[in-house]
Amino acid sequence: MEIAVAGAYHAPMITGGCPFSRRRFLQAAGGAAGALAASALFPSLPCAAGGKTVDVGVASAASPAERARKAVSLVGGMPAFVSRGDVVVLKPNIGWDRTPEQAANTDPEFVVAVAEMCLAAGAVSVRVFDRTCNDARRCYVSSGIKDAVERFARENRVEDALRIYHVEDRKFVRASIPNALAIREWDLYRDALEADKIVNVPIAKHHSLAGITLGLKNMMGIMGGNRGQIHYRLSECLVDIHRRVPVALTVIDAGRVLLRNGPSGGNISDVKSFGKAFASRDGIAADVIAAEKIFRLEPRDVGHIGKAMESGLGIASRAQIRLVEG
Amino acid sequence: MKTTRTLRRASQWTIFLLFVFLFLNTEYKDNDVLPYAVNLFLRLDPLMAGAATLAGRALIGLVWPALVVALLTVALGRFFCGWFCPLGAVIDAADATVFRKTRRKGAVPVSWRRYKYLILFFLAASSLFTLQWVFLFDPISILIRTLTVSVFPAMNLVLHQIFDGLSRAPGPVPGISEPVYGFLKSHFLAFAQPVFRTSAFVGLLFLGILAAETYQRRFWCRNLCPLGGLLALMGRVGLFRRRITEAGCTRCGLCESDCRMGAIDGDVAVTDHGECIECMDCQAVCPEEVIHFSGKEGRKSAAVDLTRRGVLAAAALGAVTVPFFRVEAHGKAPDPLRIRPPGALPEGEFLARCTRCGECMRVCIANGLQPAWFEAGIEGMWSPILVSRIGYCEYNCTLCGQVCPTGAIRRLSLPEKRKTKLGLAYVDRSRCLPWAGQSDCIVCEEHCPTWSKAIVFREERTRTARGEWKVFKKPYIDEELCVGCGICETKCPLADRAAVLVTSRGETRSTGVLAR
Repeated sequence: MEIAVAGAYHAPMITGGCPFSRRRFLQAAGGAAGALAASALFPSLPCAAGGKTVDVGVASAASPAERARKAVSLVGGMPAFVSRGDVVVLKPNIGWDRTPEQAANTDPEFVVAVAEMCLAAGAVSVRVFDRTCNDARRCYVSSGIKDAVERFARENRVEDALRIYHVEDRKFVRASIPNALAIREWDLYRDALEADKIVNVPIAKHHSLAGITLGLKNMMGIMGGNRGQIHYRLSECLVDIHRRVPVALTVIDAGRVLLRNGPSGGNISDVKSFGKAFASRDGIAADVIAAEKIFRLEPRDVGHIGKAMESGLGIASRAQIRLVEG
Repeated sequence: MKTTRTLRRASQWTIFLLFVFLFLNTEYKDNDVLPYAVNLFLRLDPLMAGAATLAGRALIGLVWPALVVALLTVALGRFFCGWFCPLGAVIDAADATVFRKTRRKGAVPVSWRRYKYLILFFLAASSLFTLQWVFLFDPISILIRTLTVSVFPAMNLVLHQIFDGLSRAPGPVPGISEPVYGFLKSHFLAFAQPVFRTSAFVGLLFLGILAAETYQRRFWCRNLCPLGGLLALMGRVGLFRRRITEAGCTRCGLCESDCRMGAIDGDVAVTDHGECIECMDCQAVCPEEVIHFSGKEGRKSAAVDLTRRGVLAAAALGAVTVPFFRVEAHGKAPDPLRIRPPGALPEGEFLARCTRCGECMRVCIANGLQPAWFEAGIEGMWSPILVSRIGYCEYNCTLCGQVCPTGAIRRLSLPEKRKTKLGLAYVDRSRCLPWAGQSDCIVCEEHCPTWSKAIVFREERTRTARGEWKVFKKPYIDEELCVGCGICETKCPLADRAAVLVTSRGETRSTGVLAR
């Protein structure tokens, strides 16, 4: 997608060349302490920084749509996250030219169910997009998400309110990221920056570098530029993105889970039926529980989740999570 | 008697719009299979069909429509150039606008008309001996190539710049411009800005064809176009031709001065039926209405500007050229970057058939197919190669084989395509981040599309530049599984030269072995 001819693209700034150092760790820890203090001053902070507990809904149901609905209702229902009149960006994973059975993208029914809940909660506009890895048109079609969203919008006469569209280069905005661990500024998608609420709808799957990919990693889809470069220091970069673009609600699709050869997969034999969905206002907490329940991983085993817990953006320990199962 | 001229103009516009429509639809539109023959125009072209058949030593079923055009030409004369040819329409449109007030000084010698025949015989002879040069002069190939590689990308860029600018303008401007942009984006503009090698060069050559109109109307068609030459020879015996009722003719000479092809020269009653493209202008301007086009024979026809000596010399030259190209060293040591599209025939047959029209590059979903400069020698210029640093071959896409008009790229089923190797990837271990002890990365592995990954990583110790031993995830290529699609090279985060690269080694069309 990066076209040199436009001449608008400048190399993003990456701080430092060295891997995570003690100094950085102390800064991050300091940041966490600062955020803790801030949360005492501003109790309405969306994330549960500090010692508070946060709910994570763990839903089991037969269909993707039911799982999505149940998971969200377990954590208070969509009106707790999306207010009347909100412009919502709904960010599924549409990264790959793969079919739903291959479990590399969020299930289309799952996406539609979350979109429906946003509309029911009074969102004036729900925008669905992803910056893909394969050709975007193929990904939108093969994933089934374009068709499912458009069909739902058509059948319910909400074509204006619910739209799925392709990411365009012209709508990336250079955004500065204060207190960044790794990227002081980056091109981010304007619609995500301007949205009232971000609802993150990832699919849980294996990832060769990150270990697993859940909600935190899914937000890479709003990044422009050469994203490959952030793989140098993926964990820190993911924290930086979340610092700049806070997510109001994370709903993780764990109906089918790609266990090997992620994130793109392809082999149906690598896909396991898991039949669950996770939801939380705190994206880190949702990731921690999904990692634990699906992959039997401790948060500290997964670099970027561990890093996020140190960052002060959300929960700092597993003990802060209250499971709500249903 | 202006009805037939109006009909001719309508035909030119209709055909040109059809041409543009097919061009714009030579694109992935949420459907794995293109619903209709977007490559129709090339398949209608008897010159290209003949050359590919001769040089490729094969009957090519795809080009049957060319036979229809050939038969119609025998029956009706050289109507194709006046009524059908989209390049002819572009040239006529340029005449009617840009060159409307051009005073053409210094007449082009009439004898130059013979060059189109000489070029034709040169091309025919070299094609007979397997060297296919027709792409250099074929008007359909030129037009599609120019649009694909040059004009369309440039227009797309300019329109984007304009609308991007307007979208940031103050006041009510974006409110007006954005809906227009949305309409253009969904119907006309490219999905992503295409970029092509040779684009400026191709554009300049095309400008040259148009600029020649300064000297003579339809300069290209009269003097150079070998398709015109072929149709002229075929259409000489055509039944439908210009004739004049001499009794009423006042010899005013309007028809002669108005003829865009110079097919009436000296005696207005005499028509060069090879040159006449049946545009009907003469009929429309004749004040006495004595000019008719009908099945009856006209008074007499002019001789073709051909000498036996000229024909023999051109043909001999065409034949003699061939061995010089066959001893070029790239035949023995091919350029490793000569990576052909999936389903491409073995190199010799491929070049013999490839029309260089650029349809495959136009349809290539990731912009990976690019015109070659000299990777396949001079004779391989503009033939498609995969340049993985620019774009890659999409694993689930079979579009290039669907649009190739001569079968130089075979139409593959999706399962067949997924097993077709274009080449093989290798890791440049001195640049690759984990191999060089810089950092973990694994972007290549993550994008590798084969279902069992052809790029795997192993965790191994490497000594960093600072002398510490650290464990990195290092990519390895499984050559059994790699299909050479090049996505690893495209996506490698190293900004200039990738650390994982594809070469043509192991390509299926040479080895004949299908991957697992």
